[in-house]
Amino acid sequence: MKCVIEGNGVKVFGKAVHALSRIGDEIWLDPQEKGLALRTVNSSQSAYACFCFTPLFFQQYIPDPDIQNGCEAVKCKLNMKCVLPLFRCASWRERRVDRCEISINIPNSRVIFQFHCRHGITKTYNLGYQECEALQAVFPAHLCPNVLMAQSKLLGDIVVHFPVSQEEVTLSMSSFKVTFKTFCEEENNCIKGMNTELMLYPDEFDYFQVGEDSAVTFCLKELRGLLSFAESYSLPVSSQFGVAGQPISFTVKDMALEAHVVLSTLTDPNHESPSRPAPGDDCPVNIPKTSTAEISTCEGPMETEVCVADGEQVASSQGSEVFNPALHMRKMIQLHAPGEIPSLVPESALTTPVTPATFKIRSLLFGAVYSDGGNDKTVDLPSLACASDTEEDGGTEEDLGNNVS
Amino acid sequence: MKFRAKIIDVGCLNHFTRVVNTVSRLTKACVLRLTCDHLYFVLSGRVATGGVSMWCELSQVNFFDEFQLEGVSADANEIFLEVAPENLSRALKTAQNAKSVKIKLTKKNCPCLTLAAELPSLSSVSRVVTHDIPVDVIPRRLWHDFREPQMPDFDVSIYLPPLKTMKSVVDRMKNLSNYLVLEANLNGEMNLKIETELVSVTTHFKELGNPPWGDDGSQSSSPTHRDPDLMAEARVDIKKLQQFLTGQQVNPSRAMCNIVHRRILHLIFLHEDVSLQYFIPAVM
Repeated sequence: MKCVIEGNGVKVFGKAVHALSRIGDEIWLDPQEKGLALRTVNSSQSAYACFCFTPLFFQQYIPDPDIQNGCEAVKCKLNMKCVLPLFRCASWRERRVDRCEISINIPNSRVIFQFHCRHGITKTYNLGYQECEALQAVFPAHLCPNVLMAQSKLLGDIVVHFPVSQEEVTLSMSSFKVTFKTFCEEENNCIKGMNTELMLYPDEFDYFQVGEDSAVTFCLKELRGLLSFAESYSLPVSSQFGVAGQPISFTVKDMALEAHVVLSTLTDPNHESPSRPAPGDDCPVNIPKTSTAEISTCEGPMETEVCVADGEQVASSQGSEVFNPALHMRKMIQLHAPGEIPSLVPESALTTPVTPATFKIRSLLFGAVYSDGGNDKTVDLPSLACASDTEEDGGTEEDLGNNVS
Repeated sequence: MKFRAKIIDVGCLNHFTRVVNTVSRLTKACVLRLTCDHLYFVLSGRVATGGVSMWCELSQVNFFDEFQLEGVSADANEIFLEVAPENLSRALKTAQNAKSVKIKLTKKNCPCLTLAAELPSLSSVSRVVTHDIPVDVIPRRLWHDFREPQMPDFDVSIYLPPLKTMKSVVDRMKNLSNYLVLEANLNGEMNLKIETELVSVTTHFKELGNPPWGDDGSQSSSPTHRDPDLMAEARVDIKKLQQFLTGQQVNPSRAMCNIVHRRILHLIFLHEDVSLQYFIPAVM
């Protein structure tokens, strides 16, 4: 892969890296035909971000230069701490950098960042990468019942009222209004801290669609990176979400790039109790109040099957409640025969009797069950939650489906 | 018990915010005493605070457009609340361009001071941001702990040098020593001294002026005049002095200190509608 970014674009690229650094410690690079994707996920796998730069963004973009040799563009990941300093002093870079060339040197396992600066100075950074499968998350944003679009300034004005240390906020939506408020875990805990609440009305949004009244709780801290990126470029931000437990996504779109942040939301504890798997099950299930992890990352070419082997824990999730993807994956298969899609479209959500169990587990895999995802325009979040070698949506599902009793 | 108040004027709001910011830099928790005419932020000297105490008095009518109070009882028409001023500061911070700010005492899961700021917004209706700040109501039997401190029987009272200068001197001295001696006399002279094994540093200020409290400029019960050149001193923890000087967001119209020789340093900052007193005990 080789690409060239001209002066102003370097600043944008740098801000994107900054936004990603607010979430995760590693950057996944994925050069594709349709653009270069930078992705990251946080350590508890409850937040995912992706910045996809289309070929329009670059002065030159060649995803796979060795096509005659049959070399595929390599997918790899870099340590955030190595990449971030390259784009740290935004204003300095903007004045001095004429262009930046990024290329991947496969024999040496290096990603090369070359900054061509004024006065003939060239700065070259060779960063070692780790080859891995693409980090991919699936989130059928178009199936979400609730959609909001607002100018970034509006959202910036809202989050400023919440202290920077405030982790979780609850966003409630009804036909009449949208409320943002500090999240309290238990009634009693509210005594300790300050509670902030504010309300917005439909006419303040550029687009307001409420398919289902809901209240979702997510971590605000992880969203701030995207919001400040959007505010720098005055881009509108759109948000898609469903009910508690379903992930919430935030999107910023432009001609040259598309950015997504997907955050898990807390499941509604009221729905929790009747449906949780009994403790006797072969999985120490996560405690209701914690955010559920929806993304699994597969690392290394060694993984040939869906990376949900029993007992395996992705190292980065050790800090969070134990989440055994295998159990939930099996349950998912049991609930839905392959091909059956638990529909998230608005009308179905309202009319289909959905059991709490379905609800929670569906949220865990982010709608990975959908099989017809390839047909529409939001294929910007490609393929499966657990990247398989085949890259086929339906492929993995069918394989697993065959194992269903 | 009821309390409701409203600020409409932007200038009053900014001024009130600055006072709250100052208080929040001095202490993590304090008592807010509300009466019909005044608000007080009180910190009573305890071992936990290192003996430091604070009394900040605001005249309510200079800040609030509306102010209604119903105290604990008819004969004790006051409310005492324990609050973290930082919460109040944070709530006010983003309300600086509000059309109005309402503060009232409410009961959510616990007693709260609810601050509702009406902000300008794009829609036809103003955006209202509500902050619930948890407070503890202090029962009447404990009110005596938070009485207005008596003016101490000081030996010398003197106006302070310009705060900025004093602050930069104290900042540098803090790097050298943990304790600072402040001494002053009735001739308008003040010295800030530190002394360690390796070094001693003294900064001299002259012609500061002494506030005319009484005929002789001191409140000592004995009628004899005090020798104007005689210094009264207090050795204090330098961090506490620095904390006080750093926290000031409002430039006072009058800044002075009273020294009780080797006992207490009493700092007084006066502004038109706010007075702030800070007591730092002397250490040996």
